Amino acid sequence: MTAALTALAIMLIQAQEVKVPLRFDFYYSYEKVVEALKALNAAYPELTKLDQVGKSEEGRIIWALTINNPQTGEPFSKPGVYVDGNIHGNEIQAGEVCLYLANRLLTNYGKLKEITDVVDRNAYYIIPVVNVDGRAHFFADANTPSTNRGLRIPFDDDRDGLLDEDGPDDIDGDGHITTMRIRDTLGKLRTDPADNRLMIAVKPGEKGEWTRLGQEGIDNDGDGLVNEDSEGFVDGNRNWGFNWQPPYVQRGAGNYPFEGTGIKAIAEYMLARPNIIMVFAFHNNGGMYLRGPSFKAAGELPQGDITVYDFLGKNIEKIVPGYEYLISWKDLYSTYGDFTDFTNNLVGSYSLVGELFQVETETYDGTPMRKQEERSRFAEASDAERQRLLFNDNVLQGELFVKWKSYKHPLYGEVETGGWTKMSSRLPHPFMLQDLVHRNASAVIFTAQYTPKVLLDVFEVKKIEGDLWSVRVRLVNEGAMPSVTHATMKNKLYTPDILSVTGRGVKVVSGGVLTDAWMGMVDYKEYKPEVHLCQVPGFGKIEYQFLVSGKGSIDIRFESRKAGTITQTVPLKAKP
Amino acid sequence: MIEIGKAGSAVPAVLVTANMTGTTPLATEAALSLASRIAADASLTSTRTWYIVPLGNPDAYARYFTKPLYTDPGNATSFNDDADDQTDEDGYNDLNGDGFITQMRVKAPDGIWVPVEGEPRLMRRADAAKGEKGVYKLFSEGIDDDGDGQYNEDTPGGTNVNINFPHLFKSFGKRSGLYPGSAPESEALLKFAFAHPEIAMVMSFGSTNFLLAPPQGGRKGSVDTDNIRIPREIGTAMGFDVTRTYTMAEIMEMVQPMLPPGMTADESMIASFLGLGAVVNPLPEDLAFYNEISTDFKEYLKNKGVTEERFDPAQPEDGSFELWAYYHLGLPVFTMDIWGLPKPKEEKKEGSGITIEALEKMSADEFLALEEEKVGAFLKERGAPAQYSATMVIGMIKGGQMKPAQMAAMMKQMPPPKKDEKKGDPKETAIVAFSDKQMEGKGFVPWTVYKHPTLGEVEIGGIVPFAENTPPVTMIDSLLDLNLPYLFELVKRLPKLAISQVKVTEKGGGVYQLEAWVTNESYLSFPTAMGKRNKVPAPAIMTLESEGIEILSGKKRTPVNEMGGMKSARYIWLIRTPAKRTIKIKLESKQAGNDSEQIIIGG
Repeated sequence: MTAALTALAIMLIQAQEVKVPLRFDFYYSYEKVVEALKALNAAYPELTKLDQVGKSEEGRIIWALTINNPQTGEPFSKPGVYVDGNIHGNEIQAGEVCLYLANRLLTNYGKLKEITDVVDRNAYYIIPVVNVDGRAHFFADANTPSTNRGLRIPFDDDRDGLLDEDGPDDIDGDGHITTMRIRDTLGKLRTDPADNRLMIAVKPGEKGEWTRLGQEGIDNDGDGLVNEDSEGFVDGNRNWGFNWQPPYVQRGAGNYPFEGTGIKAIAEYMLARPNIIMVFAFHNNGGMYLRGPSFKAAGELPQGDITVYDFLGKNIEKIVPGYEYLISWKDLYSTYGDFTDFTNNLVGSYSLVGELFQVETETYDGTPMRKQEERSRFAEASDAERQRLLFNDNVLQGELFVKWKSYKHPLYGEVETGGWTKMSSRLPHPFMLQDLVHRNASAVIFTAQYTPKVLLDVFEVKKIEGDLWSVRVRLVNEGAMPSVTHATMKNKLYTPDILSVTGRGVKVVSGGVLTDAWMGMVDYKEYKPEVHLCQVPGFGKIEYQFLVSGKGSIDIRFESRKAGTITQTVPLKAKP
Repeated sequence: MIEIGKAGSAVPAVLVTANMTGTTPLATEAALSLASRIAADASLTSTRTWYIVPLGNPDAYARYFTKPLYTDPGNATSFNDDADDQTDEDGYNDLNGDGFITQMRVKAPDGIWVPVEGEPRLMRRADAAKGEKGVYKLFSEGIDDDGDGQYNEDTPGGTNVNINFPHLFKSFGKRSGLYPGSAPESEALLKFAFAHPEIAMVMSFGSTNFLLAPPQGGRKGSVDTDNIRIPREIGTAMGFDVTRTYTMAEIMEMVQPMLPPGMTADESMIASFLGLGAVVNPLPEDLAFYNEISTDFKEYLKNKGVTEERFDPAQPEDGSFELWAYYHLGLPVFTMDIWGLPKPKEEKKEGSGITIEALEKMSADEFLALEEEKVGAFLKERGAPAQYSATMVIGMIKGGQMKPAQMAAMMKQMPPPKKDEKKGDPKETAIVAFSDKQMEGKGFVPWTVYKHPTLGEVEIGGIVPFAENTPPVTMIDSLLDLNLPYLFELVKRLPKLAISQVKVTEKGGGVYQLEAWVTNESYLSFPTAMGKRNKVPAPAIMTLESEGIEILSGKKRTPVNEMGGMKSARYIWLIRTPAKRTIKIKLESKQAGNDSEQIIIGG
């Protein structure tokens, strides 16, 4: 019955034509994501471009949508904002946040001033689904909320020389991988008297009722173990080439950095877009916005970068209520070879990981469940779970929990299967999806208003004597982010921004940073005074003074990877 | 890459690479010669496949055949070394047109160099502590092409392939590349090695020599697996005493009962669970075979009549191919540099005549037999702090507070003694000596005056590039004849697994115990200790093939995860069969060979 309903629901969803504006009351399969991207591209051909980034292990295409207004310049002339999601195949609502963001920006361009400005200001690179195989299998196959997370690179978990030969199986054919339990008077669990769908631990002296057997499945390879070698495991978010560590140190790392073909393709895509200064990577779950570093030994970030993150993070906490702005290694756990370590260090960007959805919001009596309770790993049935079941029963009419039913297992004999479905626990129900995608896309839009925006102001041209002129130049940054991240400066990742002065028949005699404009104090550069490497601080300025000798005019040029290029021709005559 | 062998990936293979820096011409010669020796000898290819990469860094090596000659391990990608507004804009310039990039010396007020006494061709640092003032500044030969006040700071060339591998990769290092495997040359090797699990041994020709100088330990960051501290959070939850330390074996024993059935605690699991981090020193079991083989190789050289003392080979660089092959593939890795600069004969040894190695083996009595004067001279040579006087040390040994071996261990911890500054760099001295004797002086360009556009009057001269690691062509054949045959001895030590004994015992009621002994018939363990830790070498799999039997205990496919050199282990199954059956026991390992036995059971 449930299987038939699920099949019907899937058919209905597939029958829906994807139209702009996009709807967010259902989840998009991989194919539907592609349709949605094509629909956005077709509806806004001027503002968008659809690219094939590369292919996954199973040959699915990874798509990227670029949003850029050519009227305000080519993409590389602006800061790049990169947003992706679903690098873990099961974390699907991340894809919907990306689609919603694109939909929000495009359908409101020219209608809302703030949206119009933020579209004009930046170039957006949006990859809704990174782990395309994982998402496809998560939709198509029976799953738990946590399976099909990794890349489709086979791995011999049980070291028997066979690859991925014994994963979980949907033995009762209901479309879900739930839990198996067996009657056992010596077991450590018994039925919860408050709700017979839950089990609680037996107290000393009490008689047991159940033993939990683990995920639904059989012993496919006949080795006496059940589900011991399932699909994968390379974790797409441990396979990036910065601070990568091999699998015996970091589980899921892959044999070498960028072993994942899609991961490699995305890395190349990003490295080919040097203007990317802000990165969002969406995951589930827990309700967090995480910044680096992702492991302790990396040390703390430069203070200048922390200031930027704190500004963004503290505002985002208000935009998405209940979400916390945290530090990855300190507040969560250490990881190596993370995506955002790559983007922070090798792309030279700021990066935030959005952990979408808080299961606590599935309330029945209106009080959010206590987080502590939910996170306790060893807890059996808790008040939190009882409340989630009430939510499931009375708000979702039983959609997310499969009641225990008996099944004749080839190995164990009479067992029962039941429990939470794959669409539970880590994903909001579609009726709650709209709120989640809107608020989190708003976090991106808020951030995109603070990318570096540099203005060049020649605020003094003064004749000293004869052909010798003093020219003062000010670079002002109206964004919160500096034009080059502090980590980039520290690592010497690439040539910082360049300020140069040239002119036909004009010689730059000297030039340097004006450290005190009133006192005329200048830190002159000994060699090549016509070229200066610089960083324009966030919400700040930097001033230069040049001594030039000649007639006519000079060209002042500011060139930045992230903040575009500005040129200005300045006549050598006294400014009024 | 050259592949030699008849059976391809069906038999254990040796991966040979050479010249990963592109700056070791002799390495490529060695690999090519090795290939032709293998091709000519059928016994080397009957059960073995060879994958030979004679030139791991072709772009850098191409520079060896162009003028002017200079050493640079970067491949042909461009890289902005000085992170300025131009790329590859300030390379070397052959100012004197002699075809070599050597050095420039110029007299300057802030010079720190002075000529070496007795060898004015060479330079040494002035010792300010002894009241010396520097005379010269040294630069590499060239002009300031981009006018930024620096000389040759952005030479053409990108990534050094040999430091672009993932073990201890140095981010943002000079010539290290953007990320491990970012160079196409290293990426190709990463992919090749993992696509060929039959590779059982790695050899590499370059500037290191694990046969003479086994890979060194002592790096900070490696966890001492005999003294593991359990993190408080995990430890208290699992019932460990977090105030003490545990050995790896103790932890495995304690963790085992907490694991789900069928799961076995092993080192790799514990290390990753406790976050012990990457292994950065060779594991002790592996060091043991490295040291034994090294002793054997030195004996081999001695028997071949090699008496000349040579300079120690280089230690492997972080991010290098050879370190990666050991730490990440978990394979035995042997490297060779084929030739080392001979040490010039020292005119009569003055001083104590005591070495740390000798001290290590001395008994207390032998030590006390030394004269106080000699002990004092020894302490001075080693740069021991002043409070460790000869009298005091002798007193401690006499009183039994310290043994000579302990003293040796302490001295090993101290910074190495300062070289005799007055003599200059011993290696440079040796190059010049070798050049004079064996190369008709062609290894050195005499200093000659040159009018430099920005530095004024300079002198150009110095050691010719490659003189340090490349002997004259006439020496190559005999060096290869001396060194290469030993590699074929090493291959014989590869682990070889076999089923050495099979036995059936009737238990009654149609139930039988089947036991099979698996033996590693060779010297090297399967896999290395590092391979056990990283679990990259696939286990050998023992399979039972038969119709109509029931396995009551034991698995149909049993992984043989490890087998020490010359060791055996027993595997047992309990089998029920109503009638007489033939069981085929198959043992299959990509790295250590296949074997099978048949046995009749039941009836």
